Amino acid sequence: MLASINRKLGLLLFIVAAVYLYLSFQLPNYEYAPIDADVIPKGLGILLLVLSVFLFFSRVVETDAEKAKRNIPKKELGVIAAVFAMIFVYILLFEAIGFIITTTLFIFFCSWFLGYRAWKTNILVSLLFPIVMYAIFVFALGIVLPRGILPF
Amino acid sequence: MDAFQGLLTGFQVALSLEGIMFVLIGVVVGTLIGMMPGLGPISAIAIMIPITYGMDPAPALVMMAGVYYGAVFGGSTSSILLNAPGISGTVATAFDGYPMAQQGKAGKALAIAAISSFVGGTVSVVMLMLLAPALSSVAISFGPPAYFALMFMGLTAISSLSEGSTIKAMIAAVAGFMVVTIGIDPQTGTQRFTFGNVNLFDGFDFLIIALGLFAVAEVCMLILNRKNRSLSDDQKLGSLKLSKADLKEMSGPVSRQSFVGFLLGVLPGAGATIASFISYIFEKRIAKNPEEFGKGSIKGLAAPESSNNAATSGAFVPLLSLGIPGSGTTAVMLGAFLVLGVQPGPLLMTDRPEIFWGIIASMYLGNVFLLILNLPLIPYLAKILSIPRPLLISLVIMFSLIGVYSISFNVFDLYMLLVFGALGFAMRIFSFPAPPFILAFILGGMMEQAFRQSMTISNGSLSIFVDSPLPLSLLLVALISLLVPAFLKWRSNRLAYKQR
Repeated sequence: MLASINRKLGLLLFIVAAVYLYLSFQLPNYEYAPIDADVIPKGLGILLLVLSVFLFFSRVVETDAEKAKRNIPKKELGVIAAVFAMIFVYILLFEAIGFIITTTLFIFFCSWFLGYRAWKTNILVSLLFPIVMYAIFVFALGIVLPRGILPF
Repeated sequence: MDAFQGLLTGFQVALSLEGIMFVLIGVVVGTLIGMMPGLGPISAIAIMIPITYGMDPAPALVMMAGVYYGAVFGGSTSSILLNAPGISGTVATAFDGYPMAQQGKAGKALAIAAISSFVGGTVSVVMLMLLAPALSSVAISFGPPAYFALMFMGLTAISSLSEGSTIKAMIAAVAGFMVVTIGIDPQTGTQRFTFGNVNLFDGFDFLIIALGLFAVAEVCMLILNRKNRSLSDDQKLGSLKLSKADLKEMSGPVSRQSFVGFLLGVLPGAGATIASFISYIFEKRIAKNPEEFGKGSIKGLAAPESSNNAATSGAFVPLLSLGIPGSGTTAVMLGAFLVLGVQPGPLLMTDRPEIFWGIIASMYLGNVFLLILNLPLIPYLAKILSIPRPLLISLVIMFSLIGVYSISFNVFDLYMLLVFGALGFAMRIFSFPAPPFILAFILGGMMEQAFRQSMTISNGSLSIFVDSPLPLSLLLVALISLLVPAFLKWRSNRLAYKQR
């Protein structure tokens, strides 16, 4: 039943469309607008519902190139997940500790994690990049980045 | 204001010290980002948007335009040297460019690409200069129904012309439209899909979507390919000189494909990628010796290179004169306009001539700069390809995070960047094209507004879309553009299915 990837994706999208459509029907009414805020969402929900059914029943054979794109070794997915986790931690600490320190740590460890072993260059870049960016944004563009625990 | 006077105004902007400086910054940054395999013009534009905050709109937009066509120009370098296209618009460039480089004629290939790009870009700017004002003056009379129909046609065109499954492209477009419905409805004040979360009241900023769906997702693909070779230091480029015979061989394809590329760029949905493929096939069909194509043919290199650059300037026609982007990249360009408080459209030419004509005039200048950058300086510029992948990945992630933070100063948006990055990566893996998503996201709000205005005019009757000839014919074109390719694909699939 769910043999092909398109069936799985079709089912998933069907559920998304159904939830979206359900929420669209919960939208409150506003009396004085000829076209209320719920018209377009309802239309979109129905459209996605129909398209997901099409996808589910489409007999399009997946090309080899498409299949190859989908076939990613588990280990590589782990690497991507780890980078996402690093970004998550970065965002978590970004305002508390400050732009320069978190960015320095992120660039160094992320590059090192991805296999960059020239640590001298790595330290140089991870120190220079945040300082230069901070200077450009804060002093030249007037966009304030979090200072955090540093005094400047 | 007539076109000649307008152009003078434009050159005043472009040739001011500020103008020259920002054109140069734009094309250099565009070239460098465009060269990086995997990072396309959408990421290049999105990364540069925060830099423009607080700038004067005219020089800022001149720079952003430079980033765009600079990226298309620069994309060819990595296609030729590494067989890893910098952007999707230069995939066809690698067909003959890479074999030439392998034969030790990398310098020659780069020179052919640069000259073809220059001619394509310049021819196209001339046509942009002629066509955009004319279209502006026609479009000034368009009402909401025509605008709705135009945007609808843009979405169906990009869906049916996308690579791979049309259904998946349409799903991507619908999903992009759905995301834009999140937030407070501007007309009634109703909260839609916000779940009471204050951070969602204003909806998602387009920069979150553009950087997430493109830059962050492209980073994921870079992580997968991080072990691919980057440029080694000892790679010889060879001489950049072209002989008279080479130039003569180029002249045919370049002059033809500059026009083809421009026309395809103007049409909604096509753009640089499709233009370059069509031009490649076009030249192969009419060539006397088509078997040379793919083995380092000069014609096969010149055709896509002139075409993709011509398409890039062509794409500015609908953007500047109608205010409607026809592709994912121009959708992000529209975002750059809106960030600066400029609304492109038929009124732009009369209300803000310095912007309208400034951009057009700056393109002449930008193409000259690009020729200089890409001919004598290319051996030095190509050094950027030797940046180690892990470092590049970390830096692009940082640029994306800083970009999002500097628009909202809200950490919630950074988490959303991560969410849309994951979505963009999933879309790539499962072959859902991302350009229809971003185009629908940008057009969605405008489409909903045009739809509701039309319905208010007609007192709630849908007949307003079919009563006058313009919206009707546009909607018919949209329907045909969707049904014909879908039918052809369905038939070929059915045949393939039967044969199995």
